[in-house]
Amino acid sequence: MAVFRWGQPWVPFQDLEREVDRLLSSVSLGFPGIRFGRQYPAVNLYEVENELHLTAELPGVKGDELEITVADGILTIRGRRVGPEGISDDRYRRQERPRGNWQRSFQLPERVLEDQLAAEFTNGVLKIRLPRAPVPRPRQIKVVDGNSSSSPEV
Amino acid sequence: MSQDLVPVTQTAPAPPPERQLVFTPPIDIFETDAGLVLLADLPGVTSETLELQVQDNKLTLFGRVSPQVPAEARLLHQEYQVGHFLRSFILSDEVDHERISARLNQGVLEVVLPRVQRGEPRRIPIATD
Repeated sequence: MAVFRWGQPWVPFQDLEREVDRLLSSVSLGFPGIRFGRQYPAVNLYEVENELHLTAELPGVKGDELEITVADGILTIRGRRVGPEGISDDRYRRQERPRGNWQRSFQLPERVLEDQLAAEFTNGVLKIRLPRAPVPRPRQIKVVDGNSSSSPEV
Repeated sequence: MSQDLVPVTQTAPAPPPERQLVFTPPIDIFETDAGLVLLADLPGVTSETLELQVQDNKLTLFGRVSPQVPAEARLLHQEYQVGHFLRSFILSDEVDHERISARLNQGVLEVVLPRVQRGEPRRIPIATD
């Protein structure tokens, strides 16, 4: 007689494992940010051909509540996320999603075409494309052969 | 000849599946007059890549994400990792499984879990002679 069926007893352990994973990931990723002294939102920076791509996950932020500005080599992203209207806090059984106002600034690397920044925001993922300015070509300095005019006398 | 040493034809092991991180998304659950509402942060998931299913009394969401940058992108600085999203919930009997509805908006999944509508108490007329 089978006392218990294999497979079934482990389901709670999977849930536990997943929960521990979630806790660990929240520690290492610094999500939801403020609690672990990390800034929100977390960003990644990539180099793609001749552009830099800055990405951030901002689910539920509405396009008109997201502001991207650039001035004097500082890129600033600012926004807010609010909870559903008319739901008082005592109606929440669980509240894990971060909300509120946030802002983050970045010093842009040199030689980024600030006036050609482009941003796209799809499915809650923000991507800011920073095209690199072409590297100025090294100026060739012509060297005049001085032998003919001022060659030292032998 | 001993049958114990018959070599088993060894097939080449299948290549390991591409290792993709799976995260537990943060959620909110709140009560409304009609039932419960579940919100889950699933950035990068589209309605085509989201699987939401109810089996017995378990609601499972699994959202697949696609890479946020082209494959040739070179990572210069990383603060977060990209991964799929998986989470399960046990539904109580008060949820009407047949009327669960969901929508996805800018990376946020909203699942409406209506409470079972109990039938209005029916008055039974009593006939008198």
